[in-house]
Amino acid sequence: MADPMPGTRFNPWPATIFTILCVLAVLFLLPTVGVLLSSVKTTREISMGELWSLPSSVFLGNFAEVLGNPAVHQYFVNTLLVTLPATGVSISLGVLAGYVFAKLPFRGSNALFLVIVAGMFFPPQVILVPLFRLFNGLGLIDTLWPVIIVHSALGLPICVLMMRNFFATVPNALREAAIMEGANEWQVLTRIVLPLSLPALAVLATLQFTWIWNDFLWPLIFTQSDSKRTIMIGIVNLKGQYSVAWGVQGALSLVASLPTLLVFLFFQRFFIKGMTMGAVKG
Amino acid sequence: MAQLRLSSLCKSFGAVQVIRGLDLDIADGEFVVFVGPSGCGKSTTLRMIAGLEDATSGTISLDGYDVTRTRPADRGIAMVFQSYALFPHMTVADNIGFGLQLQRQDRATVAARVAEVATTLQLTPLLARYPRELSGGQRQRVAIGRAIIRNPKVFLFDEPLSNLDAALRVQMRLEIARLHHKLGATMVYVTHDQVEAMTLADRIVVFNDGRIEQVGTPMDLYERPANRFVAGFIGAPSMNFLPVRGDGTRIESPGLVSVPNPRGNKLVTELGIRPEHLSLADGSDADISGEIELIERLGAETYAYIRVPGQPADLTLRLPGETGYRPGGQIGLKVDWSRAHWFDDSGRVV
Repeated sequence: MADPMPGTRFNPWPATIFTILCVLAVLFLLPTVGVLLSSVKTTREISMGELWSLPSSVFLGNFAEVLGNPAVHQYFVNTLLVTLPATGVSISLGVLAGYVFAKLPFRGSNALFLVIVAGMFFPPQVILVPLFRLFNGLGLIDTLWPVIIVHSALGLPICVLMMRNFFATVPNALREAAIMEGANEWQVLTRIVLPLSLPALAVLATLQFTWIWNDFLWPLIFTQSDSKRTIMIGIVNLKGQYSVAWGVQGALSLVASLPTLLVFLFFQRFFIKGMTMGAVKG
Repeated sequence: MAQLRLSSLCKSFGAVQVIRGLDLDIADGEFVVFVGPSGCGKSTTLRMIAGLEDATSGTISLDGYDVTRTRPADRGIAMVFQSYALFPHMTVADNIGFGLQLQRQDRATVAARVAEVATTLQLTPLLARYPRELSGGQRQRVAIGRAIIRNPKVFLFDEPLSNLDAALRVQMRLEIARLHHKLGATMVYVTHDQVEAMTLADRIVVFNDGRIEQVGTPMDLYERPANRFVAGFIGAPSMNFLPVRGDGTRIESPGLVSVPNPRGNKLVTELGIRPEHLSLADGSDADISGEIELIERLGAETYAYIRVPGQPADLTLRLPGETGYRPGGQIGLKVDWSRAHWFDDSGRVV
């Protein structure tokens, strides 16, 4: 019988790449699976050393303990009080600066843009001690203000970079057409450019929200009392005097990751391309 | 409607001067077309009139008022962009009514005006659609609708038909002509398409290198070009140029019969003759002879490109659609000397 596809040879690369990706995906998901498994086990079961085994029965007591704990409620409130304003401020400033850099360039604007974007490359540890001393001098240690301010500032470079690059893709003719119709720059931004930039805003909102929500370093440095801690510090705080409460920590980890998941699900509908289709010729 | 005046208008980008002192008067209700090669400054001039570019020096006046430093929206000027520049997230109705919405006019007024404009431009069934759901011609009509809804004093068109296919371009050209007739508005139109310029314009302004070469009616420019540039730019196919030399009484050129200098003892260095002013001639009647290099058949007419020994470029000849001539054949041509153009060494008409 003749070869149905003469001349075609087996190409091992797609299968190899697929296998490697599968292995990486499993490795990536393993910690999450471990957390999920421990969250539905009793402390006794975990301490028997069966961290990776399936639970003998699904134990929801850890979730009940987490959700009923007033300290956890406070962690959530604190995290929201940090994440929402810091995300909002960094994106708002990024939008304004990005619009100027993309559509209203001035002498030296490119150099200034590079200086701002270069801020991304400073490791936070470099500025940690000076910032602590600064906020200590201002009497803001053990408040949420330093965390909000630092996240707003550190989020600015990526926000400016992304928004400037996205705005640059919005045709200048749209801005000029709006100006001819009587729009000022604020109206051009809010009524023309921003509605066309929803995909970029959605990506940015998701990234910023996730980074700030999940941040461990800055709340650890700037807050001290339990009533000012954020959720990530709270997870660590949930331990017994002589042992680690793996089950409770696992449950809180899962609960704590829900908001970022919800944010992603909410914004992913804006992750579409082609919003400018039909705007110009073609 | 309005009179528009440009006085000593200059524009520089850094050290590069792109517009070099324009003076132009455009009458109320006039349709003026700017033509010229790429980079000649016609679009920059249009953008300065719109207010989208600042003039480096000089003034732009509308009805006697200096608007050189006035905000674009306060000039009473509307512009139709080459790329349409429709707002993709807005429906056709919102695109057309955008300017009125910005003026905070009440919804009923905006809706009534949008409906009126949509009727004029046959856009009524499309009002709820988005730009991406429209054809090129429909998008262009929406762009025009957005321009006319505010009853501007002057309409500016920046190569509005260049993105349309040939058939649609003819249709839209007619619609723009009809619109001008209906509105009686002052219109300034930038194009590099000569057919658009010749068919639409009351007057054509020929630009070159940031300067105005000549202003005149289409037939003025065709019949009486002021210089070699205009002579070569206006008319399709373009004028044939033959270098000539004369002793003050007669003029000679390779392959061309010797003729008396029509301009007396003035220095003439070039003869310009349009393809349609050359006709077929036999033997001794021919003023010029050569070999057919190429034949282009366009249906209604045919262009023949003729190699004349000693001439630097082929001559173009316009023939009827049905012709038996073939490349490689010899051909004799008679020049309509009454339609010939003579240029001096600076390119000016003698």
